Amino acid sequence: MLLFIVFCPIVAAILIMAGAPARKTALLASGSTFVMTLLAFALFERWQGGFQHVSSFTISADWRLNFAVGLDGLSLIMVLLAAIVTLAAVWFTGEIDKYENAFYACLLLISGGAIGAFASLDLFFFYAFHELALIPTFLLIGIWGSGNRSAAAWKITIYLALGSFVLLIGLILLYQSVPVASRSFDIRALQAAAVEGQIGPEAQRHIYLLLLIGFGVLVSLFPFHTWAPEAYASAPAPAAMLHAGVLKKFGLYGLLRLAIPLLPDGARHWTGLLIVLLLGNIIYIGLVTIAQKRLDWMLGYSSVMHMGYIFLGIASANILGVTGAAVLIFAHGLSIALLFGLAGEIRKRTGTLVFDELGGLAKVMPFAGLAFGLAAFATVGLPGFANFAAEIMIFFGAFQNGWEMERFHVFQIATVLGLWGVVISAVYMLRAYRKAFMGTLGERWSSLVDVRRSLRVPVTLLVGALLWFGFFPQTFVRIVAPAFRTYFSANAQP
Amino acid sequence: MVTLGHYLIVSGILFAIGFAGVMLRRSLIIIFMSLELMLNAANLSLVAFSRFHVQPSGVPDYNAQVFVFFIITVGAAEVAVGLAIIVALFRARQTTHVEDINTLKF
Amino acid sequence: MKSALPWYALLLPLVSAGAITLFTRRLKTLSSLISVAAVLGSFVCSCLIFGQKGLSAPELKWIDFGTVFTVPFGFVLDDLSRMMLVLVSGIGALIHIYSLGYMRDDEGKSRYFAALSLFMFAMLGIVLANNFVMLFIFWELVAFTSYVLIGHWFERDAAADAANKAFFTNRIGDFGFMLGILLVWMSTRSVVFADIAPRLSILTSHPAFLTIAALLIFCGAVGKSAQFPLHVWLPDAMEGPTPISALIHAATMVAAGVYMLVRVGFIIQASPSALLVIAWIGTISALLAALIATQQSDIKRILAYSTISQLGYMMIAVGLASNEAAIFHLFTHAFFKALLFLGAGSIIIMLRHEQNIWKMGGLARHLPITFLTFVVGALALIGFPLFSGFFSKDTILALAYDHNMPIFVVALFTAFLTAFYILRLVVVVFFAKPRSDAARASDESPLVMTGPLIVLALLAWLGGYGFFARHFLAIPHEKELLLIVPVLAITAMILGAGLAIALYRNRTSEPIEVDLLRRLFYIDEFYRWLLDWTQELLASISAFFDRWIIDAGAVRGVSGGTWGIGALLRLIQMGNLQAYAFLFGLGIVALIYFAVFR
Repeated sequence: MLLFIVFCPIVAAILIMAGAPARKTALLASGSTFVMTLLAFALFERWQGGFQHVSSFTISADWRLNFAVGLDGLSLIMVLLAAIVTLAAVWFTGEIDKYENAFYACLLLISGGAIGAFASLDLFFFYAFHELALIPTFLLIGIWGSGNRSAAAWKITIYLALGSFVLLIGLILLYQSVPVASRSFDIRALQAAAVEGQIGPEAQRHIYLLLLIGFGVLVSLFPFHTWAPEAYASAPAPAAMLHAGVLKKFGLYGLLRLAIPLLPDGARHWTGLLIVLLLGNIIYIGLVTIAQKRLDWMLGYSSVMHMGYIFLGIASANILGVTGAAVLIFAHGLSIALLFGLAGEIRKRTGTLVFDELGGLAKVMPFAGLAFGLAAFATVGLPGFANFAAEIMIFFGAFQNGWEMERFHVFQIATVLGLWGVVISAVYMLRAYRKAFMGTLGERWSSLVDVRRSLRVPVTLLVGALLWFGFFPQTFVRIVAPAFRTYFSANAQP
Repeated sequence: MVTLGHYLIVSGILFAIGFAGVMLRRSLIIIFMSLELMLNAANLSLVAFSRFHVQPSGVPDYNAQVFVFFIITVGAAEVAVGLAIIVALFRARQTTHVEDINTLKF
Repeated sequence: MKSALPWYALLLPLVSAGAITLFTRRLKTLSSLISVAAVLGSFVCSCLIFGQKGLSAPELKWIDFGTVFTVPFGFVLDDLSRMMLVLVSGIGALIHIYSLGYMRDDEGKSRYFAALSLFMFAMLGIVLANNFVMLFIFWELVAFTSYVLIGHWFERDAAADAANKAFFTNRIGDFGFMLGILLVWMSTRSVVFADIAPRLSILTSHPAFLTIAALLIFCGAVGKSAQFPLHVWLPDAMEGPTPISALIHAATMVAAGVYMLVRVGFIIQASPSALLVIAWIGTISALLAALIATQQSDIKRILAYSTISQLGYMMIAVGLASNEAAIFHLFTHAFFKALLFLGAGSIIIMLRHEQNIWKMGGLARHLPITFLTFVVGALALIGFPLFSGFFSKDTILALAYDHNMPIFVVALFTAFLTAFYILRLVVVVFFAKPRSDAARASDESPLVMTGPLIVLALLAWLGGYGFFARHFLAIPHEKELLLIVPVLAITAMILGAGLAIALYRNRTSEPIEVDLLRRLFYIDEFYRWLLDWTQELLASISAFFDRWIIDAGAVRGVSGGTWGIGALLRLIQMGNLQAYAFLFGLGIVALIYFAVFR
């Protein structure tokens, strides 16, 4: 079943390039992937660590290289996220004027790459699947983008390739840091080796730094973030949805899957650096977002800012914070996908995304107004949405590190600043909503039509998922928390 | 007495003259001839070593002289190929001036 | 005894909101009826719950990490919650009915009622919450629904801006609130009120820490209850429809701040410094708002500032460690303030959305029921003997007289101002001759609007009485009311009322202009200036830095550097055969050197 989920998008992409009807095949493929993922979710055993739904094929016994896929709590929600956002992105795609087949094929390849990377249990394929998704991103932005698209496409591809390169070095070193006898590409074997303490602390520090920078570039960690706003502004909406919602999360998944569990000494050593960088994401980028004058740039910077919270959860390195980080990955992916999708629709209708030119759109586009409002409030962390539940877990998890009653340590300060980031995000998000959707309706827009009716389905899907997991976050907690139990004590770090 | 050193100095001078010719002359044919001069300088020093390194049995070491034959043969082949290239080049560029053949310049 | 009644009371409005949003958006009248039915259902459940003591409801685990961190969804059903349940759902029901009339012809009726139902859900949640996180969840939801309802007529720029302002200010308060919650959680390891109370000794052994935590929690109340310095959102919130101003911004949501402080009173009262700060902030807010109210000409703004002022009184009570007095005043204030707002709404609708008091006048004759009920509300507000406000306000004044004389003096002066500004309003609006065509043409409102007015008027009159109130409220009867306090209070009231009547009789325009008060002490301008010079400036600098230094500098620098190195290296490609040969030879020499001599 997992193999189907992993390969369905890729096979569909190939079929589309071979001539199958593009939109129908894409919808069918992403729809069936979504249904199968829901099935896997329902069949998943809760409160159990370890991987389920595993399939494995040996490729090279000498190097211990297998094609192995499996899901544990963390990868399950990542795959679920990818499946939902893929379906939404495909649905949101409107009329493509050139090379329609290639467009859908690229979308599906990105999706397949992401799902494959999340489901992989083998280091080699973990990296390979992600690389699979880089080139379609380049094509999507460069060919079907808007604005300064070729510069943006080059920038994101080369920047992310550089990040991947650093990551590759880190992964190779990781492979080699284990004594020769137990060397393996298999993640489970690496985890076993790490638990036994076979990776030395010196090596851990170097590898962790490399992985942090490598994955960090992929996730737009400050200061490696400048590729994100321009790329998302120039990308066509479905591409932005997939990239910001899913592909960017690959780096965070990598940190949660590899860097933290396998390299705890390294993680502890570099915690200070990570906190400084993530505060850069939250506060500095938050301020930058406030100053933006265009909706697409604002959303791009906003997605960079929220990565800071996820990093805060990761940095806290206890089960509460890390689970919160995982849930926020899911929640943020959905909300940002919805926001980018709707922004694309607005751009399609009005041709502009500059705040000063928009205004009062909720009157002529009520559904878009409602959907955007819900997505905006979800991002801002309104209770009822999954983002809030995740942020609660992250803040409480981060705050408890290094606690002493009469003094404040770096984690407490980081949490306070992170909380202030919540105020900052309310400022820019609501200001954007007010400028675009509320207020007097410009005369140019008085004859606009609302978004097409069929879009109600993906919007309801995204909002519904956010609300469901916002009302019942325990559904996630009992799936994700066990996956981390081996590595994190429930208590705070000293 | 003419010692090994004298032969080597002559060989060195010949080599230097050839090298200077390769570096400094502008005509392809002249460069080629200088190249041959360098080859022959090497031949000379090889023969000198062969002549002056007498083995205990009283017979000079003929390995070097055999090597010289190889060099002469290879030189001949190289000249054939090289002159063919020069002819082709001349047909393409109408010049044997080495400074005019610079399309690989940045 | 376990019962699911609390769950019904809480969830009925949520179901209504969901149903309206998903299904009946086009059918506006049906939406309004669904909403009214839901709130009436909640009211019935609340009354049933009120009648039974010792009730408990099944709990739900929202987040469960075992001993590390658990957030249950559970209810606290003590006397306070049950009374608040009845108050909130009761006044909510009255206002729903009133809205049927007020919003009858509105375009966005479905949206209005959906948001109103969601608000009821959130407010009931605040009242019922048994732990900090659940309280915070509903706290924020209430702010959200307030945003939606203030911005109901979102095509108006003023309404859109007011909605944003309300949400931001609340968020700032919530920032402090969440920090306070984190501090309390870290020390007592639980967010559930019932678990924290026995562990309070951990906090009290670190008094400075406790004070900080208490003050941070108070931040949330400052934001929610519009106390100084976070009061600026409430007057602007008057852009929303008047029933909303009555429900949210007078009777319930803003009172949630006071309720929360009472609910966690066991933490607050353990810190005398925090109590002092709370009392003084209440005092300052009360005075400030009353001063500003004397110079406003929009009827709703006067009432808004009056709300801030009365909430200040409640904060004084909290700060003087008398939860009962605070809740007593909360109840009476809910009655008479909602009454005043609904009365104002009746006037506004009948005068076709005119809100300037100087365009009204002589309405006593045109809108008799509104006039009578409004006067009842006004008398309750100023603390006229026999009305509910008299009992609750005097309790607070007596407390201040006993514990903190400076606060008493200021509060007494504020009572004087209260009488002044409300009588000014009554005289200008209801007496003399009508000053505009709309006023001349006005008529009484329909029953669906005057009905709730009458009910509220009765409550505002009778709500303070011993026999009536003891049934409802825990009145601080331990202290005898000293005679001097009521005498002083009544004197202040008469002076204020008399001055107002003398000054404003038969006027057609404002006789005194005090710019400082008219312009709200220029606080809004100050905040704007502050924001511009901190947030906006920092944002611009950061954006510049990001665009030009990180992006153009570092990133393009790297790519530019690569270009540059490439440009340098290409100089080696000279295209000159002899140069290549030379370099070739050089390479060979180097190779031989390194191979043979190293």
